[in-house]
Amino acid sequence: MKKQLVHMKGTKDGLVLRLDDQCAYAELVEELEKKVSEGGIDGRVNVSLDIGYRYLLEHQKQEIIKIIEQPGKMVVSKVFSNVITVDENNAKIKENQCDTYVGIVRSGQVIQAPGDIIIVGDVNPNGKIEAGGNIFVLGKLKGIAHAGIDGNREAIVAASWFEPTHVYIADVIEVMSNEKPIIKEHAEQLFAYINKNGNISYDRLQEVRNIRPLLNTKGGS
Amino acid sequence: MGEAIVITSGKGGVGKTTTTANLGTALALQGKKVCLVDTDIGLRNLDLVLGLDNRIIYDLVDVVEGRCKIHQALVKDKRVDDKLFLLPAAQTTDKNAVTPEQMKSLIEELKREFEYVLIDCPAGIEQGYRNAVAGADSAIVVTTPEISAVRDADRIIGLLEQEQIDPPKLIINRVRKDLMNQGDAMDINEITTHLSIDLLGIIIDCEDVIASSNKGEPIVMDPNNKASLGYRNIARRILGESVPLMTLEEQHKGVFRKLISIFSK
Repeated sequence: MKKQLVHMKGTKDGLVLRLDDQCAYAELVEELEKKVSEGGIDGRVNVSLDIGYRYLLEHQKQEIIKIIEQPGKMVVSKVFSNVITVDENNAKIKENQCDTYVGIVRSGQVIQAPGDIIIVGDVNPNGKIEAGGNIFVLGKLKGIAHAGIDGNREAIVAASWFEPTHVYIADVIEVMSNEKPIIKEHAEQLFAYINKNGNISYDRLQEVRNIRPLLNTKGGS
Repeated sequence: MGEAIVITSGKGGVGKTTTTANLGTALALQGKKVCLVDTDIGLRNLDLVLGLDNRIIYDLVDVVEGRCKIHQALVKDKRVDDKLFLLPAAQTTDKNAVTPEQMKSLIEELKREFEYVLIDCPAGIEQGYRNAVAGADSAIVVTTPEISAVRDADRIIGLLEQEQIDPPKLIINRVRKDLMNQGDAMDINEITTHLSIDLLGIIIDCEDVIASSNKGEPIVMDPNNKASLGYRNIARRILGESVPLMTLEEQHKGVFRKLISIFSK
């Protein structure tokens, strides 16, 4: 008997569609088309797609999802893959890397980073930090900070002295005015983040681990 | 080989020209051979503050374009015997008449003959600033205790840090103790921590500075003036002496305290 190329399996997280990663792509498509047209499912169900060690180009991925969703019985909610390209990997590394800038960011200067950045020094008024990830200022933040510039809404801006003129996170802009009581009263050790309502909020640095638990990458004892 | 120091501020009207004239005179009074270079082409003032305006024959642009030798353009200040010279700026053209490379070779030439070359920088961060900084070995940033002047000083320090010169030093001009005590002006500490560069000295605000500038006599010629003392102290610090910072409290001695200090002598 021919080896089965498409496995359908029910797990506790729902239906998983596992595709063979050794056969030819054309064969896989053929069998998949057959399999999904067989039916046997009532109503619409969410399935996760597991493509194993096969690398699918973006248009191939779209094609497969289209085939699965065609009969209107299944909706692909997630795609699992064990492989990524070198480019994707490098982009990931860049995103996760943490740059360090030692010195004072003065008026008119712009410091950019693809991932997180730590500023060892002050950010003076009209100085600007732009980062793809989070911004941490060990000195006084008195200028402009733009975290998550590529659209990461999980990014935060933290400073040991938090007195910026403008805070941007992803596409949200906040002009700091004196009406912010928490900042007016004590500017020490604050951070800014996007809250559940999509606005920028501020809290004490101690709250970061509760509000953004994923930022913590190191366990403690 | 002498040292070329550019005196700059970013903002206009904070006292770059006055500082250049007074520091140059103070260094000359200490026996150093000093040349002042006015790079504010088109808006020259340094000659007026020094009272040398009617003795100018050639100027900086004439030298750069080869119409005269450098020593023909230098104007000697007779009050400080053979120690102080001025290379005046041209008045009939603008900043684009000179390139940074030309300035650099000009300053190199002056450094061979003089112990200190002080370059008076025009306001702004454009061509004139780039010309002035091109030949300098170090920089002095002048600011006043105003937020706008400090902001511009911050910008100019950022630009100076990208140049291949020694870290800039700070002079705070027109210091008024009464305003600082009331909290109406930034105090010395606030300014220096904000800009975080070394403080070279402070100059106390004094009306006599304006009067003496108008007369064409730098205030350092008057040994009893507070502002003059500030400039003299800065000149000594440039020469490597360690001079403590002027205490501001002294100038506000009440009558009672004055009496005590007289009797306690």
